[in-house]
Amino acid sequence: MDHFARLGLEATLELDGAALDKAYFAAQRRWHPDRFVTRPAEERARASLEAAAVNDAYRTLREPVARAVYLGSLSGVEMPGDGRTIDDPDLLMQAMEDREELAECAAIERVDALASRARDTIARELAALGGFLLHDDKGAIRKTLLRLRYLEKFLEETRARRINLERVGPAR
Amino acid sequence: MAYSEKLIDHYENPRNIGSLDKAADDVGTGLVGAPACGDVMKLQIKVGADGLIEDAKFKTFGCGSAIASSSLVTEWVKGKTLDEAQSIKNTDIARHLALPPVKIHCSVLAEDAIKAAIADYRAKASAKDETKAAD
Repeated sequence: MDHFARLGLEATLELDGAALDKAYFAAQRRWHPDRFVTRPAEERARASLEAAAVNDAYRTLREPVARAVYLGSLSGVEMPGDGRTIDDPDLLMQAMEDREELAECAAIERVDALASRARDTIARELAALGGFLLHDDKGAIRKTLLRLRYLEKFLEETRARRINLERVGPAR
Repeated sequence: MAYSEKLIDHYENPRNIGSLDKAADDVGTGLVGAPACGDVMKLQIKVGADGLIEDAKFKTFGCGSAIASSSLVTEWVKGKTLDEAQSIKNTDIARHLALPPVKIHCSVLAEDAIKAAIADYRAKASAKDETKAAD
């Protein structure tokens, strides 16, 4: 059973956050160990497996990029694993430039501007991904998911950079 | 998890950080990235008239093992021929730095980077030969 089906949701990129939360809490209640304490061992075991699967589904579907990667895998698009370089020179060039720009940021406002730019790009890439999923364009899906991964990583780095700058204080 | 002294040394005192002129004929640039973790690594070589690698620089945005792997490779390739540099294996890097199994992919990335830099230099050199032949 896939993560969407497990929570009784339609498999789609534009998942309603409130609906996801509601489905998650309902499923969690349904399989809660407290409700199975007096049940036979095999039922207890089943409930704990289900509860774990529900948590896993929620964690994956909650984050838009993780959800996108998961939807890609449902369409048969596997992300390359560790161990080989990615084959998108434009993405690599862009990633290198972005990271250099971030490393040179001395002001928090500048870091925030880069983060906000990255979030806009993520929104645009996600919108484009919707179309690629619809047309089952596997090459474009894979390319877009890789871009999203890099953008997510970049956002993570902007947060780290921000903390660093806050600790050091304003540049004199 | 304990990291080796060599790894920590390369991470804390990385060798050859920086950039070479990407547009120069005698410079080869390799740009690679890890699909899973989003790390990105640039490795450049400058090849002398004698065919030996006279300078190497790197810039890596990634974990300590990725930084140490690329730092080590720039150190290794200096003074080598392209063929010698081409033969560097990720297992050599991983062994030298005693990389833990979960970080082996960092050494693979460094191997891919030096290979890409050599390929870029060779592509430039053969394009130049063709231009010369056409003159």
